[in-house]
Amino acid sequence: MSLKSLDPRVTRLHLPDGEVPPMEEKPALDQFETYEAFHQKKESTPHAYAGPVHAPNEDVAFLFAKEQYSRRFPCVSLWVVRTENIQVTPYANDGENVYDILRVEAPATQSEQPEPYEIFHLKKRGKAHTHVGRVVATSYQEALQEAKNQFGDKAPIVNVWVVKSKDVLQSAEDDKDMWATTPDKKYREAIAYKVMDKITKYKEENKNTPA
Amino acid sequence: MNELALKDLLYKLADDQLILGHRNSEWTGFGPILEEDIAFSSMAQDKIGHSLAFYTLLHELGEADPDTVAFTRNAGQFHNNQLVELPNGEYDFSLIRHFLYDNAEIIRFEMLSNSSYEPIAKVATKLKGEVKYHVLHANTWIKNLGSSTEEAILRLQSSLNEALPYALGMFEKSKYEQELIEAGVYGGEEAVKAEWLQRIQAVLEKTELKLPDLASIEPKFGGRYGEHTEHLQPLLDEMAEVFKIDPTAEW
Repeated sequence: MSLKSLDPRVTRLHLPDGEVPPMEEKPALDQFETYEAFHQKKESTPHAYAGPVHAPNEDVAFLFAKEQYSRRFPCVSLWVVRTENIQVTPYANDGENVYDILRVEAPATQSEQPEPYEIFHLKKRGKAHTHVGRVVATSYQEALQEAKNQFGDKAPIVNVWVVKSKDVLQSAEDDKDMWATTPDKKYREAIAYKVMDKITKYKEENKNTPA
Repeated sequence: MNELALKDLLYKLADDQLILGHRNSEWTGFGPILEEDIAFSSMAQDKIGHSLAFYTLLHELGEADPDTVAFTRNAGQFHNNQLVELPNGEYDFSLIRHFLYDNAEIIRFEMLSNSSYEPIAKVATKLKGEVKYHVLHANTWIKNLGSSTEEAILRLQSSLNEALPYALGMFEKSKYEQELIEAGVYGGEEAVKAEWLQRIQAVLEKTELKLPDLASIEPKFGGRYGEHTEHLQPLLDEMAEVFKIDPTAEW
């Protein structure tokens, strides 16, 4: 079957007519690794989980996260973490406190010097993990124990993420102006398109015209 | 301030942004991966938004409204540099052009945000953050791809060599150059070019790419005075196609 495109960009490609040769098969698991993005809507609110991106490295993950997760809503800061660098606790049921059922294991590895870790809580299943604070520890396990001491009374907490601070790529303080105009970009919101009004108006005007 | 000088400055800024915005938007749906397609399209939209802001300033100075100015002029009436009108080529060329252009654009915005002509200073201050992100995007890709595989490096190097004469054409001086500098409206092309060279060199040094000897390159001038390549008029025809079907249509 031969298709003609109305898109001049497609026409310009002078694609050959007829059968398209099949694409070469990709090796299994030949894809970018995943990163998790956290965005901060305003100065007074904590960073909250926005979603994942696929990227070849942290810098590119940051670019992609900026496009995927800070295009539509106000944003003042963006964090990106390699998925592999996030330690996750088991899940508690809604309304429970995961710290109560958690058995903190002995650390597999320990750093010589204590270092900062970022702690994220999930308050309810289906919501987003939110940054609650920072602890200093020599291992993920110690960080989790410390998190329980410092933030464990903020129940309900159904799940906890622990990330070494050094594994978090943070947008620079100076780069806040990258998001300064986001609230003006109403054309990115579906709500900015008053299509129904126009369709209704058109129908009104053409009521008596046979279709 | 001489109004002709101001208009000349505004036209070259706005026309650069409109034409590059349109070119980059041609990648929509054709990008190398989905996320990059979205990023490039979004930046193209920003550029067209920037051109609207500057055409609006022109309108305030008595020029026709932005749609008329954008969609009804012929190539000979456009003040954009020739770099932005060249066809997209493959992604390596589009990335190199994005890198060379936006590293100059951010310097213009930084200068203009301190302009003695307040309406320009306001617009530049407001939109500068978007250009900063465009530069971050360009530099990140050039750093990554410019030190990756042999194919990527070869492609980027050949695109760089091809784009440079046109890129130098970005710095063609206005006939009001001195006047604009003395009035503190704009720092002037020579200053932009000197700073641009430093910034692109700092990025290229982190890659396998080599900046050719600029002294041996003849810049492609003329764009600022309405001389263009054969590629601009077809772009304008395509861009204005829908507008011309019904110029009074409401959207």
